This record gives sequence, C-alpha cells and structure tokens, in this order.
Amino acid sequence: MIETQSLAKTYGRGMYALRGLDLAIAKGDFAFLTGASGAGKSTLLRLLLLQERPSEGRVVVGGRNLADLDRDEIQAYRRTVGFVFQDFKLIASKSVFENVSFVLRVLGQPIEQQRRRTYQVLKWVGLQHRLQAMPRELSGGEQQRVAIARALVNEPHIILADEPTGNLDPDLSLEIMSLFREINASGTTVLVATHDRELIRRVGRRVIHLDQGRIVDTPEPRP
Amino acid sequence: MTVVGYACDEGWASLRRSGRSAFVSIGTIAIAFATLGGFLLISVNVQDVLDRWLDAAEMSVYLHDAVSDAERAALEEHLRAQAVVAGVEYVSRERALDRFRVDFPELRDVAEGVGENPFPPSLEVRLRPDAVDAAAALSRDLAGRPGVADVRYDQRWLSRLVGIVTAARVAGALATAILMLGAAFTVAAVVRLSLHARRDELEIMQLVGAPFSYIRGPFIVEGMLLGGIGAAVALASIAALYSTVLGSLGSNVAGVTDLTEIRFLGVAELLLMLAGGVLVGGLAGIIASRAIR
Repeated sequence: MIETQSLAKTYGRGMYALRGLDLAIAKGDFAFLTGASGAGKSTLLRLLLLQERPSEGRVVVGGRNLADLDRDEIQAYRRTVGFVFQDFKLIASKSVFENVSFVLRVLGQPIEQQRRRTYQVLKWVGLQHRLQAMPRELSGGEQQRVAIARALVNEPHIILADEPTGNLDPDLSLEIMSLFREINASGTTVLVATHDRELIRRVGRRVIHLDQGRIVDTPEPRP
Repeated sequence: MTVVGYACDEGWASLRRSGRSAFVSIGTIAIAFATLGGFLLISVNVQDVLDRWLDAAEMSVYLHDAVSDAERAALEEHLRAQAVVAGVEYVSRERALDRFRVDFPELRDVAEGVGENPFPPSLEVRLRPDAVDAAAALSRDLAGRPGVADVRYDQRWLSRLVGIVTAARVAGALATAILMLGAAFTVAAVVRLSLHARRDELEIMQLVGAPFSYIRGPFIVEGMLLGGIGAAVALASIAALYSTVLGSLGSNVAGVTDLTEIRFLGVAELLLMLAGGVLVGGLAGIIASRAIR
C-alpha cells in the first residue's frame, strides 16, 4: 500500500530529515512510526500527504509514484487519505457537526448524504450528543475524536496520524488507540507516528523505529 | 451542493466577516466607478450635443445682389450634385428680412432704420453629418464661382471641438483605468485578508483533497461581490448628484441649453458598468486566490 525507495528529505545543505528510507507497509497494516523528536516521523507523514516533496527517492502509494501526480491528482489522492494531527486542527468557528460535514461539503456530496454520513461517524466515535458543540467547549479527547471522525468521514484507504495522543492523558490515549484499531479492523491501513513507547507496548503492533532520518529496526509486532 | 452554490454561500459569509476592510474596498471601487460614470455621463451628453450640431450643419452661400437667374440655377445644380449636400434652399433678400424680423423682434427697428434691405440673397445648404472635411473643400470651391459674394462655413471649429472632446474622453478613460487598477488592487488585498483569516480552513480543505474550484471559488465570488456593490454604490451616487445638479441649475442655464435634452446613462450603460464592477472584482479575486497552491 505504502512504499518508499531510497527516500531522502533535506532542509538546507546536508541537513537530512530522512535519508535512504526503504519502507513497505502492506494494505490493511497497522504500524507505529516512532523515534525521538527530529527523527523524521512528521517529515515522512508530510511526504505521504504531499505537503512536501522528497529531495531524493520515491514514495509509492497504491502503486502510484506520488511524484507523478499533478495538482488535481494530488487532491484526488488526498481524498483517499485521512489525517489526524496532535493539535486536532479543528475549525474554531464551526460546530462539531460542521467540522466533519465540511469535508463532504467541499467534496460536493449531496446534503442528505453529508448529514447521514457525518452523524454516522460522530456516533461511531461517541460524540452524537455533542453535535452542536463548538471545539472550544470540548475536552482534548473529544476534540481528537472529532478529528478522527473528520478523517474517517470520506472513507479513506489510509489513515495517517501524527502524535494523535500527544496532548492526551494515558487513559484517553488508549481510548483513541482503540478507535484506530477498530478503523484498522475494517481494512483501512493505519500509520501512527508517536514517541510514546508505553502506548506502543500496550497496543502491540508493528513498529518502525526512526533515528536521525534512518530506519534503525522494525521489530515484529507483538500479539 | 454545487461548487457555485458553495462559493456563493462562503463568499457572501466571508464578505460579511470582512467588515471595515470590505467597506474600504467597496469605497475605492465606488470612487473609481463614479469617476468612470461621471466621464460617461458628461461624454454621452456632450456627444449628443455635438451630434445635434453636426446634424444641423449648414453652409450659407451669399450671392451678389445682381446675380442672374442662370448663375443661381447653375450654383444650385452644382450643389445638389455634391455627395456632402443634403439639401439646398434659396433665400431671397425679402425672405431673409422677414426671418430677421421674426427671429429678432426686438431688433426690428434697427433693420427698418437702415432703410434699404441690408440682407443679400443666399443659398442655404444643409450638409450631411460627418463630412466636415468635404464641406470645407466645397466651401473653398464655391468661393470662386460666378455670382458668389461670400461663403460662410463655420464648422471647422466644430471639428476641432470634436477633437478636443475625443482627447478629453481618452484622458478620462486613462484616469479611470488607473483608478480601476487601484480598485482592483484594493479588492485583491481585502480578498487576501479573508484568505489569511481562513488559513486553517484552507489548510484542511487542501488536506482533505477539496477540488481547487471549491477552495478558490469563494474568494472569487467575494471579489465579484465587492466589485458589483462598489459599482452599484457609484451609480447610485452619480444618479443622486445628477438629479441634484440638474435641479439646482434649472434657472441658471435656461436659454443656454435645453435641460430636457440632458439625459442620464441608459440601461445598457448602467448594466455595462455593473458588469464591469463584477468583472474587475472577480479578476482581483482570481489574482488573490492564486496564492492558494
């Protein structure tokens, strides 16, 4: 599903964020991307979301080299990828419902479908009682669940999450991780960047360990 | 919801959120379009007057008192053969005196005090409009013909006036274009501000793969609304100024020109200006929204 070949990203002369990265994540996989701050986790996710372009090497997703995509194809590709960020990135002026339905609205979906699907995913993340609440009225865990609902609403093939539990306490973090596991159970490929080793240990999935932009080891997932 | 519906909804909402900056933008557009409208209003009325004058263009061919019938007939025949001539009328000395008495009754005594009829016989030649140069050539040609005492053709100043009006119109168009450019930049700046205010939303739209028509559309609509409203404000201001000035001039200009002949801009001109406002605003919106990549 996701494959990188000799992938490198540099910022300035000789400042490697990623170097020589060869990685393969199969369809339906759940993998953690871990490493210290500056190891290259977020850079890899940004390259997968096409927010940045590689300096060297290739990123292939679903059999397509992302470097070959033109502007409109990039947008079409992004519709197949859901994203979740540490800072939630919710729109402060929109309600919970609007934050999620907004995605379908800007994709031109019919209004009835927008409403039905939005309610469905918000119910799935357990927020059906907070549809009209504004983001500022929600706890961190609730905000992240809205972000997950937004990532899921368009039924993506891949979910990318960058430190999704970074602002949450351990119990809430586990709650969020159980949502990701359920998403993965339905066949969606999930890649979560986190430096929370305890969380990784408790969830027990494939781990890709980055250090100074290189993969240092990829231990097999624990049962 | 279609992209147009979405763009209109969001564009209008964005305009309402823009507040003071939108007000400044509409004001700038209004000034530019008021200038354009003012020039247009003056221009169409001056043109109407010029057209009337050109339509009424005449040449007076004064004849010697002793002109023979044959010479007069030859002159009339020669004139009627000219393409520039629309009509020829002979005015005898007696008829010229009668006309003078009717047109200037207060000067009746002056004419009678002279004793002998002071008016020469003449041929009044009606000319076709837009033939100032040909008429001037004809005037020179007539001056040397038998029986002709004098030729009065005063349309050269009219052609100079047409030239001056054309030059003023070009200067007005240039000034308007410069103002319009300034207005477009102001609209673009306001749209950029909206863009900045909605940067989080834009980032999310890009990340979820929204088509660019959905991302940029609202900003283009916002620019179109700013331009359209600005042009409408300008037209309303010109209309108010027009009726105020016309009302106050009433007694002052009576006798110099017929006020009923001064007209406001026509429907086509008004619609053209509104469309121009929408177009300038839309273009500014397109330019501003190109910052989204």
